[in-house]
Amino acid sequence: MARQQGWFALILALAIAAGAVLASFPLQLGLDLKGGSQLTLQVMPTGSIKTVKAEQLEAVKDVLDRRINGLGVAESTLQTVGDDQLVLQLPGEQDPSRAAKVLGTTALLEFRAQRPGTEQQMTGLLKLKRQAQAVLNQRRQRSQALAEGQPTPAGEPPAASIPAQELAESLRSLGVTVPAGSGETEQLELLLAEVNRRIVELYEPAELTGRDLTAAGRQQQQTGNGWDVTLSFNSEGGRKFAALTQGIAGSGRLLGIVLDGRSISEASVGPEFKPAGITGGSASITGNFSAEEARDLEVQLRGGSLPLPVKLIEVRTVGPSLGAENIRSSLVAALSGLALVAVFMVVVYRLPGVVSVLALSLYALFNLALYALIPVTLSLPGIAGFILSIGMAVDANVLIFERVKEELRAGNTLIRSIDTGFSLAFSSILDGHVTGLISCAALFALGTGLVKGFAVTLAIGLLLSLFTALTCTRSILRLLTSYPALRRVTYFLPARQQPAAAA
Amino acid sequence: MTSSPQPGPLPNPRFRITRHRRLAWWGSGLACLLSLVGLVLCWLNPDIRAPLRPGLDFTGGTQIQLERACGANCAPLSASELQRSLSRLSLPAEPGASAPSLNAAAVQVLDQGRSLVLRLPDLNPDQAAAVVAAVQAEAGPLQAAATSVNTIGPTLGDQLLKGSLISLLVSFAAIAVYITVRYDRIFAGLALLCLGHDVLITCGVFAWLGLLAGIEVDSLFAVSLITVAGYSVNDTVVVFDRIREQKTVLRDLALSDQVDVAVDATLTRSLFTSLTTLLPLVALIFFGGSTLFWFAVALTIGIAVGSWSSIGVAPTLLPLLARR
Repeated sequence: MARQQGWFALILALAIAAGAVLASFPLQLGLDLKGGSQLTLQVMPTGSIKTVKAEQLEAVKDVLDRRINGLGVAESTLQTVGDDQLVLQLPGEQDPSRAAKVLGTTALLEFRAQRPGTEQQMTGLLKLKRQAQAVLNQRRQRSQALAEGQPTPAGEPPAASIPAQELAESLRSLGVTVPAGSGETEQLELLLAEVNRRIVELYEPAELTGRDLTAAGRQQQQTGNGWDVTLSFNSEGGRKFAALTQGIAGSGRLLGIVLDGRSISEASVGPEFKPAGITGGSASITGNFSAEEARDLEVQLRGGSLPLPVKLIEVRTVGPSLGAENIRSSLVAALSGLALVAVFMVVVYRLPGVVSVLALSLYALFNLALYALIPVTLSLPGIAGFILSIGMAVDANVLIFERVKEELRAGNTLIRSIDTGFSLAFSSILDGHVTGLISCAALFALGTGLVKGFAVTLAIGLLLSLFTALTCTRSILRLLTSYPALRRVTYFLPARQQPAAAA
Repeated sequence: MTSSPQPGPLPNPRFRITRHRRLAWWGSGLACLLSLVGLVLCWLNPDIRAPLRPGLDFTGGTQIQLERACGANCAPLSASELQRSLSRLSLPAEPGASAPSLNAAAVQVLDQGRSLVLRLPDLNPDQAAAVVAAVQAEAGPLQAAATSVNTIGPTLGDQLLKGSLISLLVSFAAIAVYITVRYDRIFAGLALLCLGHDVLITCGVFAWLGLLAGIEVDSLFAVSLITVAGYSVNDTVVVFDRIREQKTVLRDLALSDQVDVAVDATLTRSLFTSLTTLLPLVALIFFGGSTLFWFAVALTIGIAVGSWSSIGVAPTLLPLLARR
């Protein structure tokens, strides 16, 4: 008996510890339960790099980490998943579009001088660019005003536009094929993208890139209401910038600022810089940015450019009240399922049934404590895995008690029946749990996000149920049967099923 | 019989499964055939072109779930009208790419017009926000806190499908190896046959559901299949464990009688176990909310079929195979 009491003391101590763990470490809820956005990014191999290596993934993660911190979203987490994916979680964030924009761009900044002898082409392209930008800007402002419900201001200047014929002509000359049925805005955007691409072709290779940047900032323009992004270079960058500007000063050629292969700003350098170039190691990009665009660009530039491009492959957004609804309904389901099982066990198995309900409550407690301790982030599939593992735990108890009943029917004594029941049921319980764990291992190793959460909770449940079914149930049962008052076969088996000899 | 080491009469099973084996085989065979027909019909269906109707997780795309803030008296909303106005919407394009067209948008109106589910091509967050704004203009105010937007890129959908299939096959193979080690090849073969039977029928039911009710399978369905496989093997193993355990005691009986004894002895356990597993699942079906509904349905079907096959299919086939 001393041994049984030792086990019982251990179980009691574990239960108290589990309770303490639950009280001090809160359970971590997944975004599908508390609301928020989750973005999955795929790192794309480019050029000479065919596969993404671990250190490249880490380098991408470092850059993205800096960018997210610049955004100032509370409690965001960025984790690497598998060989080439990153998952960003933004709890409470309802609109992931800004994060998506800031994360998704490479932010490769280049300063490039215009090639000699391309002045004429450049003038033509820049004219087209200004026209298209003016029309698009005006449209954007108008649709924004419309969306915010503001009345269109009276005395508004006549809408800038490019005659349809002229637009079609320019598109054709640039070799842009327009998808059928596209509106004027879309055509203008296609035109602008093509023009920006062609402008970049007129530049010489980059001499100076964002790597030589030490700081980025932004300031409001003195005239107009746009924003500029200011840059500071390190000493080498300052030298390169001076040489670059010296080379084109007064020649009429332009200095192009290229971000991710798009020309975002073209600047002319006056003849006064001919002797030494622009010195001082700083510059500003005048791109007529909005306050928000300027801030995002600043964050990207400060975080550095991505060593490899990334692609957004998954976005999941769950509203907070939807998450609360999910918690509530799965909690109701779990509790009512447990209650039904408890009633069933007590009705069918009597005293051992009560013991197994006790053991199952301990099982649920240990499970939750482990979730808090590891920690396992509870998501909906995870809760489903938990509920299912309860089913497996009950199965272990059913197997044991059926065996005990059989032994009792065969006329064995109570204590002997309990011992034989446990030892005979062991091999099937072990086989069942091992096959379950094999499935979990396969799911965890090969599955993705949702599937992994399910595999983790089911595996924890299976391991724990081996422990509770074989130890908790047994110790409690042995402890109870050490009291003669409880050592009655009728508490285990209805009298009509008992063999005549044992009655 | 007197050579039996254990005193007392040999057990006389109340329920002899091998006497009903033809019926059992016919029933299971018919169910498997119907499932295969469902899968093939699904494949031939020009809308589906796959054995099961794949959901967002596998095809990629954007799904937006919205709830209207109109309480009990919502103005009626027509799905087809909303669909038409969405197809006229032009979305903000990403630089260097044209905006996706919304002509293929599917709109579902649920809960007497209170909530909406939109299935759209792959959209970026800006475009998804534009769609929500467009719906808001049409359907009145929405509850921002109850909105859910899921976007799965086409590459991820591919990865999910591949990952699910591979993990399914790998876990089958690993289970087969384990049973071969613990029992023997015939037992392993039968356990796998049962597992295939259970998985096939579960898939078949969902193929028919996909054909008749438009139900789609997602990655949770793959999870449920793997769980069904685990349970199926667990159930079968319990019966086989009993057959093996009694082999010495009952060695004078014909194998089919040994099977009867083992099935009869484990019958209560098999039924009770399925029942106690089904109880939480039924709770999940009724109270678990829409996200887990079809997951719970798939598990319920799979576990019910699994418990049937462990009683009616695997043990009755054992004498047939072991004779050779």
